Order: sequence, then C-alpha cells, then structure tokens
Amino acid sequence: MAAAILDVEHLTVCRDGATVVEDVSFSLLPESDTALVGPNGAGKSSLVQALLGILPRRSGTIRLLGHALGPRGQLPAAVRDRIAYLPQTLSLRGRIPLTVAEFVGLGFDRPGLALPWRSGTGRAAAVRRALGRTDSSDLADRLISELSTGQLKRVLLAFCVVRPRSLLLLDEAQAGLDSQATDQFHTLLYGLRRSEGWTILQVSHDLEMVRRTCDAVLCLNRSLRCSGSPDHALSPLQLERLYGPGYVPYHHHHGRGPSLP
Amino acid sequence: MSTPQVLGELLQLPFLQRALLAGLLTGALGGVLGSFAVLRQLSFFSDALGHSALLGITAGILLGLNPTVVLVPFAVLFALGVDRLASRSRLPADALLNIVYSSSLALAVLVLSRVRSYRGGIEHLLFGDILGVSWLDLSLILLLLIGACAYLYLSRRSQILLTLDEPLAISRGVAAGRHRLLFIVLLAVVVAISIKAVGVLLISAFVVIPACASRLVSRRFPHYVLLASGLGAGCAVVGLLLSALLDLPSGPAVVVVQLAGFLAALALAPRGQGIGA
Repeated sequence: MAAAILDVEHLTVCRDGATVVEDVSFSLLPESDTALVGPNGAGKSSLVQALLGILPRRSGTIRLLGHALGPRGQLPAAVRDRIAYLPQTLSLRGRIPLTVAEFVGLGFDRPGLALPWRSGTGRAAAVRRALGRTDSSDLADRLISELSTGQLKRVLLAFCVVRPRSLLLLDEAQAGLDSQATDQFHTLLYGLRRSEGWTILQVSHDLEMVRRTCDAVLCLNRSLRCSGSPDHALSPLQLERLYGPGYVPYHHHHGRGPSLP
Repeated sequence: MSTPQVLGELLQLPFLQRALLAGLLTGALGGVLGSFAVLRQLSFFSDALGHSALLGITAGILLGLNPTVVLVPFAVLFALGVDRLASRSRLPADALLNIVYSSSLALAVLVLSRVRSYRGGIEHLLFGDILGVSWLDLSLILLLLIGACAYLYLSRRSQILLTLDEPLAISRGVAAGRHRLLFIVLLAVVVAISIKAVGVLLISAFVVIPACASRLVSRRFPHYVLLASGLGAGCAVVGLLLSALLDLPSGPAVVVVQLAGFLAALALAPRGQGIGA
C-alpha cells in the first residue's frame, strides 16, 4: 500500500472555546480526489485550516507528505512548497493595491527572506503559465480588488498551480463559478491528478459534482459521520444521517444536486 | 524682507535644519509603516498609541527622566498589552482601544496639571515642538528608518501575504504571529520616537494620511509603498517650512499639508478608487 499523502488521527479542533471538529481520523492516498461534505457549520473549513496549522488543534496528530505538523503549525519549508490551499475568499483583498500577476507570483515564492539579488528567473514564466492554465491570462494586470467572485476563484487556483504541488486543499473552490468555468476547473484538476500526481481534498456543497468527479467522500458534522466511495457515503440513508431528516434525497435522473439547507 | 530671504535665513538655523531632517525621516518612516498599517486596519491602533503616549511622557517627567527613554519601552509594552487584550476579548478592538487611550490621556492630563513645571508645556506635548529635536533624536530616527525598511523589504513577500489574508499567509509557511508582533512593536517605537516633533494628538496622521493618499492613486504594491513614504517626507518638509515661516505650530501645519496631498490624490484617483469605493 502506498504511503498516505495526508494522515489525520484523532483530530480535535476548538474555535472560540467551542469544539468544532471532534476526534476525526482519515488518510488520503496519492492521486486521490476526496470531497469533504456536510451541512453549514459542520466544521469543514475549520478542519482544513487545522490541517495547515492555521487553526491550532486541541489534540490529535497530522502528518502531511510524511512530515508531522508541529503543535504550533510548524512544517518544513520544502513540505509547505508542495502543499497549496485555496481559501473561500481573501479577507482584505479590497484594500490592497496588488495586481493578479503580483499575487500569483507570491504563490511561486517561498515566503522567507527575499534578498534582492536572488529574484527567481522562472517566476514570470511560471506566473504566465499558471494564468494560462486557469484561463485567466487576460486578468494579469487587473487589481485583485477588481475581480468578480468567479474570477477571484480562478486567480486563487492559479496561485495554487503556479508551482508543482503534491497536495491541494480547496475550500469551496467552485462556489461562484459559471458552468463553463466549473467544467474547465474539473478538467484542470483531473489533469493535475493524472499527469502530475496531485492529491486533492475539497470542501464542496455540490453533491452531484462530488458523485461525478471524486473517488472518496468524508461526511463531517463535527465528527466524521461516514466515509468511503461516493455511492456509499452519499446514499439517501447516509445523507439523512448527515443533514437531518428534513433532507430530500438525491435522485439520479434529475441530473442536478439538491439544494442544501 | 521678501519671503525667499526670510526662508534663506531660517534655513541657516541649526534647530530648523534638525527639524527639517527629522520631518523628512519621520515622514518617510510614517509613510512606509503606514502603508502596511492602514491596510491591516491598524490606523486607530496608531492613534490610540499616540494618545496613550502622553501617559508615558508623564511617567518620565515624574521620574525625572528623558521622555524618549521612558516612551520607547512604554509604547512597546502598551502595544503588546493592547494586542493581547484585543485578541482575547470578545469586545470590538476599536472600543477596547478607545477605553485604553481615553483613560491614559485623562490620567496623564490630571497628573500633568499637578506638576507645576509642566503646566505651560502641555501644548508642546499635544501638538509637537520642533525646537525639541536633538541630534540624538535624529540619529535614532535614522537608525529606525534603516531598520524598518530593511525588515519590511527583506520580508516583503510575507508582509504582502499577511496584509492580504492571514490564513493564506500561514498556509504558505509565514510565521504570522511573530511578524504581527514585530510589526506592532516597530509601529510603537516609531510613534514613540516621532512624538517629540509631531505631538501626541496628531502622530497617527503621519501613519495614516500619506498611505491613504498613495492608496488612492497606486496600482502596484511597490509604487504604493514608495509613494506613501515620499508623500510622508515631502508633506513633513513643506509643513515644517510653513510653520517656521508663518510661526505656526509644527504638527498641525504638517497635517494640513498632508490633507492637501490627500485631497489632490482624491482628485487624481481613477473613478471607483475614491472614498466611495
């Protein structure tokens, strides 16, 4: 069996004094595409943030690419470089005068001390290529603050793919994308997995998309309620357990996912 | 005597030369730090820091020490204490800052009113005294400017990421907590050192106004920071010259020139980038 890209054991996370993730254990195999689903407030974003050391954890262990995440979120820089995170949004993007190309370049650089005579030569080419792959080349000189939600998602994805990675953590990456952009997005993710060996964990509310594209599902509602293949984890019975009895089960022939509470 | 002649004679005065140099350096320093502080929503923090500094100065007077010697550690401790308080409390940060700074100011003024030797000096403390800038102050400001620029330039990628979104910065491996504390300490020291020339009431304008003016007309981050420091330095020099020529208090004169710069930037700002955006 291949070594896990991400290994989580008995993870418990608290936020503002409340337990938001409780005793969660799972692991991701190389090149897998795993969806993290659950109702609003289930702790999905908190779980992803704890995996990266953004939120501190109360207990449990996290191993990323074979390296243990330190108690205060420490991880070797070389490992950080192999991991990309796409947040739901950027908190202060409206205020900062930063162009899309400058921003995507920040995903290429290591954030440590940047000496003036050590500017990477591959940087500009990598930024152009990343913007091309996410169909955002025309946005290069726009300000981050001028982007629509869908454009920002594409630019955030460019930030993630500007450098080869092993693990991609997406927090509602498709929310706000139109159907054409969503298809391009999935084609790109599929290509990254198959040809470059990326592993993906994505928070999603689009259960139909999860069924079509993901090969594993984690159902979270504070604790892990169920996990496994989409057919098993997203069965009407499991969905009712996850979202509560008011939930309308998904029907294959409708061709669209149900709206979530 | 014509104005150029008066100006020429004034420029011969060593204290005015020192004041102009101090203004140049303080203005540039305020602009550089301000360009980050404003985006990180620390404008009110620098305001509160400035107002509370009067308590530090008062303590210095009571202890019979040079105010600068007391002010720097006071400002640093104050900044760290407030930061910790704000991160632990459920109250909004601006409300907490208001409580802290108005009570510091009140205490300081009450004590100063009892100290006979400083009854006449409160105005200088509030609005700045360009006569008070010594060569020691100047060299301290220069050292601080060099240190701040080196730190912010070398760690610019981390600083920009932190200014954009802290979770994203942490995911890239930026030591967010350490950088935030360092920046706050730096801001506190800059406020403490600059207070003699500018006064406690107006010091935050040095941090906030040039950066905001620059933000209105900048589309690139490096341009934004450079323009903010240039505006800070330029407005300080023009304001100090005006204050010397027209015998005006130095701090308010500089702030009025900064306001003129801000209004000019507002007029030049592309549509949608102005105050309404």
